[in-house]
Amino acid sequence: MAKRRRSGQGRARPQRMERQAPSGAVLTRPRVARPAAPRAWTRRSLTWAAGAILAVVAAGLLLQSLPGGALPDRVQDGMTLAISVIIEAMPFVMLGVLLAVVVEVWVPSGVIERWLPRRPAMRRAALSLLGMLIPVCECGNVPFARGLLMRGFTVPDTLTFLMAAPIVNPIVIITTHQAFGFSDGILVARLLGGFAIANVIGWLYSRHPQPQTLLTSRFQAACDTPPDHVHGSRTTRSVAQMVVELRAIMPALILGAALAGAIQVVVPRDVLVSIGSDPVLSIAAMMALGVVVAICSNVDAFFAMSFASAFTPGSIVAFLLVGPLIDVKMLTLLRTTFTTRLLVGMIAVVIPSAYLIGSAVNLLA
Amino acid sequence: MHDLWDRWLGVGLATLLGVATLVLTATDRLSLYINPSSSWFAVAMAVVAVGVGVAGIAMRRGLESDHGHDHGDGGAHGHGSRSAGDGSATTMHDVPGDEDSPLSPQRLAPLATATGGSLASVVVLAAWALPATTLSVDVAASRASDTPALFGGEETVELARSGDTESFGIPEWATVFASTTTPETFRGDQVELLGFVMEDPDSPDRFLLTRMVITHCAIDAQPAYLPVTDAGWQADLEAGDWVDVSGTITLTDGSLAIDPTSVTPVDQPEDPYEY
Repeated sequence: MAKRRRSGQGRARPQRMERQAPSGAVLTRPRVARPAAPRAWTRRSLTWAAGAILAVVAAGLLLQSLPGGALPDRVQDGMTLAISVIIEAMPFVMLGVLLAVVVEVWVPSGVIERWLPRRPAMRRAALSLLGMLIPVCECGNVPFARGLLMRGFTVPDTLTFLMAAPIVNPIVIITTHQAFGFSDGILVARLLGGFAIANVIGWLYSRHPQPQTLLTSRFQAACDTPPDHVHGSRTTRSVAQMVVELRAIMPALILGAALAGAIQVVVPRDVLVSIGSDPVLSIAAMMALGVVVAICSNVDAFFAMSFASAFTPGSIVAFLLVGPLIDVKMLTLLRTTFTTRLLVGMIAVVIPSAYLIGSAVNLLA
Repeated sequence: MHDLWDRWLGVGLATLLGVATLVLTATDRLSLYINPSSSWFAVAMAVVAVGVGVAGIAMRRGLESDHGHDHGDGGAHGHGSRSAGDGSATTMHDVPGDEDSPLSPQRLAPLATATGGSLASVVVLAAWALPATTLSVDVAASRASDTPALFGGEETVELARSGDTESFGIPEWATVFASTTTPETFRGDQVELLGFVMEDPDSPDRFLLTRMVITHCAIDAQPAYLPVTDAGWQADLEAGDWVDVSGTITLTDGSLAIDPTSVTPVDQPEDPYEY
């Protein structure tokens, strides 16, 4: 790994040059007049792409100025909800993809790894605090985590990060505090609970004999062909890698959001809400709500606040733990990278843990 | 063609979403989907998405999945299959729901990609082409519960008690109505508020004057509403109509309501949501 990213040779990849023409000229002008490695971009292709996008912008402006309301209310509402989630999540996903590419292509190998503790348990504990530094919420964490995996991070380590970061991060702490203050221990239970669940999952999967098999074969294949298999400068590799990552993430994000939107207009929310203040059932109801509403962890505390008067504090905590980790949108995104078997395992840890933590809060509060 | 479809599903959809975000911003409709306080971030990243889009779309076909040369491991990656002109390797890595799941055998995989990809494309095309509209009154009604949502804390009630209600909209008043311990303080206060009409499930002689409040994006929108006493409102109004209500706050059996002096139907405002 270390040799691949030697500086000063950005235009040609030193490791895999051996099968190419041994001419010295190749190193300096690698892709001029060589049919085997044509240029990544031509002036013509760039002009064509920019022109096409401009046309799409113009058409969009025209279409958006038409009066709306052609669809039946329910379909239109489902669309509006799905699109709102996508537009809200898209910038974070974009940022996540950018960070992933930074981690995959630009940060020399060993730099991040050097900062992490060697002992697995300590390393996972450190990784579960990484969310404090990475400014993306749960949608953006998935592409970033893919970047970590491609870098060579293990599956359990990456899982720990993925499960902790949506909860143990500054924005979530601030908004949860704004919503609840320190009342009923909701904030503390959420933070400690999120940290604990993430580390339990990390520990459990560190016992797995072959953690690599928990990755989808599609993603394994992507790992086998890291970004530097592409010839060219770091910029070329970055763009190529973004194309690959967006291909993996975009359909999942959109389908997850569409699913969340559809559930909203199909499943009557009052069925869940009517369960109300029963200490046992309320926790189950709020966890179910957390899975189906798919609200960003940044703001789910405000959403939960509106249920605070009717629901037990423990059920609010369970909602705040389950929603960010395994809601329908998150599961769809995770499925791009991890096998169904792993997702089922995660759900099997998250639900009972959240239930226990919620019950404990109900007993103590 | 496979490689083009893959590009479309990734960088193509991302670009189209970036374009949609920019178009919605230009037509002042982005606030129908997300809270304007986060518009700057959405717009900035939309510009990035379009920039990446130009580069990604213009990039030489197949480059992202191109080995460029043989690694000497017999094409075990099965990854070059999507590059143009290389049909030799297997195509097992083409779907999110691939052969790992017992529910989706390998031969169903291409079908699943095609279906999922088409569905995702439809949603993104809708974001771009479908004129943005407000959530319907049905959504507001389905999200109204017996325990009204609170859109502020103690300080809102404090502010109201001090008489400083000039800036209050429906969310603030709804908070006061729901959480004040001294409702008599507000009896006789004059209000003028703009909202839409929602049926009151508890009484046909009242309607609920409602605004949807968005914290982050429309999926978290919650209704804030105030009961308006107006027997026979059904004769002139329908659920979902926008009205301008002037009136006095009354106290009946310990609960606050608005007794209107005028209820004027108006067009839906440009900014139907509160944030």
